[in-house]
Amino acid sequence: MTNNVNITINGKTFQVPEGMNLIEAAELCGIHIPNLCYIKGMRGIGACRLCLVEIEGQKGPVIACTTKVKEGMVVRTETEEIREIRKFVIDLIVSMHPLDCMTCTKAGVCRLQDYAYEFEIKESSFTRKRFGFSPDEGNPFIKRDPDYCILCGRCVRICKAQGTNVLDFMGRGVGAKVTTAADKPLQESGCTFCGSCIDVCPVNAILEADRWRKGREWDYERITSTCLLCGGACDIVVSTMNGRIMKINASAPEASQERYICAYGRFGYDAIESHGRLSRPMIRINGELREVSWEEALSHTAKLLKKAGRDTSFITTGSILNEDALMLKNFVTLVVKTKNIDSTVSLYGDRDSLISQVADIDEADLIITAGLNPSQWTRALASIDAIIRKKVNGGAKLIVISSDDIPLSGIAHVKLTGNEVEFLKALTKALIDKGLSKDKNLTKLTEDAGVTEAVLKAAELIEASKSPLILSSPVLYGAGANLSLIKGKAVSVSPEANAKGVILMGLVPSGLSIKEMAKGGTGLLYVVGDLPINIRPQVETLIYQGTYMTDLARSADVVLPVASYLETEGTIVDYLGRLKRVTKAIDTEIPSHRDIFKDLAKLMKVSLKPPKETEIKKLIKLPSKAKPSAFEKKEGFDLDIRRFIEQINAPVINNSRLLWLKESGVMV
Amino acid sequence: MTEVKEKKVEDIKKEAELLKCPVQRSLYYVREFLNGPMCGRCFPCEMGTYEARIRLENLVNGNGSVSDIDALRRIMNYMLTASMCMKGKNTARFVLEWLGSEDFNAHTKGECPQMECKGLIRYRIIPELCIMCGECKKVCKFNALLGEERKPFQSGFLPFEIRQRRCTRCGECIKVCPTKAIIIESKAATVTSAKT
Repeated sequence: MTNNVNITINGKTFQVPEGMNLIEAAELCGIHIPNLCYIKGMRGIGACRLCLVEIEGQKGPVIACTTKVKEGMVVRTETEEIREIRKFVIDLIVSMHPLDCMTCTKAGVCRLQDYAYEFEIKESSFTRKRFGFSPDEGNPFIKRDPDYCILCGRCVRICKAQGTNVLDFMGRGVGAKVTTAADKPLQESGCTFCGSCIDVCPVNAILEADRWRKGREWDYERITSTCLLCGGACDIVVSTMNGRIMKINASAPEASQERYICAYGRFGYDAIESHGRLSRPMIRINGELREVSWEEALSHTAKLLKKAGRDTSFITTGSILNEDALMLKNFVTLVVKTKNIDSTVSLYGDRDSLISQVADIDEADLIITAGLNPSQWTRALASIDAIIRKKVNGGAKLIVISSDDIPLSGIAHVKLTGNEVEFLKALTKALIDKGLSKDKNLTKLTEDAGVTEAVLKAAELIEASKSPLILSSPVLYGAGANLSLIKGKAVSVSPEANAKGVILMGLVPSGLSIKEMAKGGTGLLYVVGDLPINIRPQVETLIYQGTYMTDLARSADVVLPVASYLETEGTIVDYLGRLKRVTKAIDTEIPSHRDIFKDLAKLMKVSLKPPKETEIKKLIKLPSKAKPSAFEKKEGFDLDIRRFIEQINAPVINNSRLLWLKESGVMV
Repeated sequence: MTEVKEKKVEDIKKEAELLKCPVQRSLYYVREFLNGPMCGRCFPCEMGTYEARIRLENLVNGNGSVSDIDALRRIMNYMLTASMCMKGKNTARFVLEWLGSEDFNAHTKGECPQMECKGLIRYRIIPELCIMCGECKKVCKFNALLGEERKPFQSGFLPFEIRQRRCTRCGECIKVCPTKAIIIESKAATVTSAKT
């Protein structure tokens, strides 16, 4: 609960949280202090000097980006002198910037353009400088054009904060260039192509490689949605024009550490328009898949389902929306009336190990990872890796508990490498020993734990922190959550975007398990979603309802195309327990999962209505606290998370420009 | 690669003041500043001194105009208030001090009153003072001296004069002339009388 203080800006008084950055506080009050080098949420560096303001009591103007608000502060953001200085700085920048506004792709959203307009700088009064740097266009994702660079350093700082360290200044002064080490192209410099630099660049110096001639910014419609390609479930904003997707950017608030999307989420949208995407229903006639009309496909499917009766199994993924999951459950239990249903979620977790409490990662000042190996470089939960690194860069502490040394251990304040369960037990005991808990149950469970020096250090970090957050892999969640009973919160992180939602909607495994279904346990197998199964299971009939023509689809008897995550509406429950919204960015004639099930149900003489949001919300019951659990690692859920995420995204990778990563050898 | 110790701003000022012309002082200072102490972090100082160097070079070469002086004054005034650190602010203070001199205006008319800006001055031999000893020709590395030593038995002579296109105003000839016959004058000056 932060205190509010009273400050006066330009004569008006406002109430803002104490200690907040002055630029952000002013923005809260509706006043914009010009700035080019400031990144919200990160420390100000005072490079551009545009944010100079006059504060009563201080001699001369001071910069706002390094000033924190105090009670009674009196600020003037617009004086003659300050305005002249700002004009001077923009004038200088314009003198070394190509005067390209007419054709520049950043026009309309360019901060330099906005300020030149504000300060009436038509052309520079200083000598024109031209550097003739050649652009780095060797990859299909990010284009760097140093001629446009204004040397604000935001890209350098965000790349450093994330731990990727690809960009830096080369040289000093006006002739300096922001580039990679030894000025090599991005793909030879360890770049993961996450594009955080694109989101942060105020001008046209770093942009999407295919941005040229794809429309002006003011022609774009922007829709905020959520990426569903992995358990990170990052917030995205999709720019569309004429019903087509033009680009995707991160849309978490600028001040939040969660503002990130990886190359999959940013550039994978090509797959939606690719040849590998299913667009028309198909039925296998005389051994070959033939395109048919929807009526034919649906009536044929209904006939097959009626014939198979209870001898059917349904298998889906952990990335389908809540609405689709609930519809599927109702379809299976009320229409087909079989008990065989399972999802990929069962490969790594179950209700006990996945359903955790609601938490906030921005406000956490200590992160404890248990059994997780998030990595931007292998794109296994890349966003979580980036968020943790940004937090540590901003002063948060990190404890990494893992079986082997992982890249994240390198920045941990305490790393506990070895038997994760034993460490969690010892950590809990250390906290009890410190008097932070008197729980008899936990005391008994941790009696035999051995507290080492490292564990003690970790316990001290937990004791000193205000809001620790435990991020655990599903198999260790039970053990890890015991810590949250003493202090802080614990969440279970699944590799898929909506694992928790799928379970909460009732798609818990019953009947045959996914592994058994994949081998072929029933006469009819109905695959819902692009499952990472390569070989056709031994079944009589295989119905494939997905977005892409995978190997499995090619071997099916009926193929029903389904809208992708950028073409449907719905909700998911992310790893922090939040209900996130997925919004339709483009229209399509291809139906969603629930549309198909509704039509199938009708053909089978049952009326099923797509669930309303209130129904969904009623089913989302997350515990407010974890339950005390045994200190053990759950058995039967051995899964290589990194390979798994690659496999579930294989259709998107293979059908988009992401394939270049594999072909050029950049992808590990 | 040996680490060259960064010069202090005050030391650069002292070195600059060894020169006489205020424009030369400012140019020397700005060049040394850009090479060393200028950290390149804040825009007013980093971009301002870069621009200042261009303007000062204009003035020193005789291509300067009043707008260059105005621009310099403007840049330095803003650097004084807006720079991040004392290095930038001191730079502005020093250059503003030198900008106060009237000599700056003279440079816009192509004259360097202190006779230091090489693009605005020329060396000339006063024929009446020249004893034709030939010492100057011996030391000139640029072959800018024409003339032959006076031989007693010769009636005519090739007088010593400086080829202006080759002369770099390095000053070596002035050092060795025994009669101080080589003078420095403004390029724009017209020779009206034989004796100056």
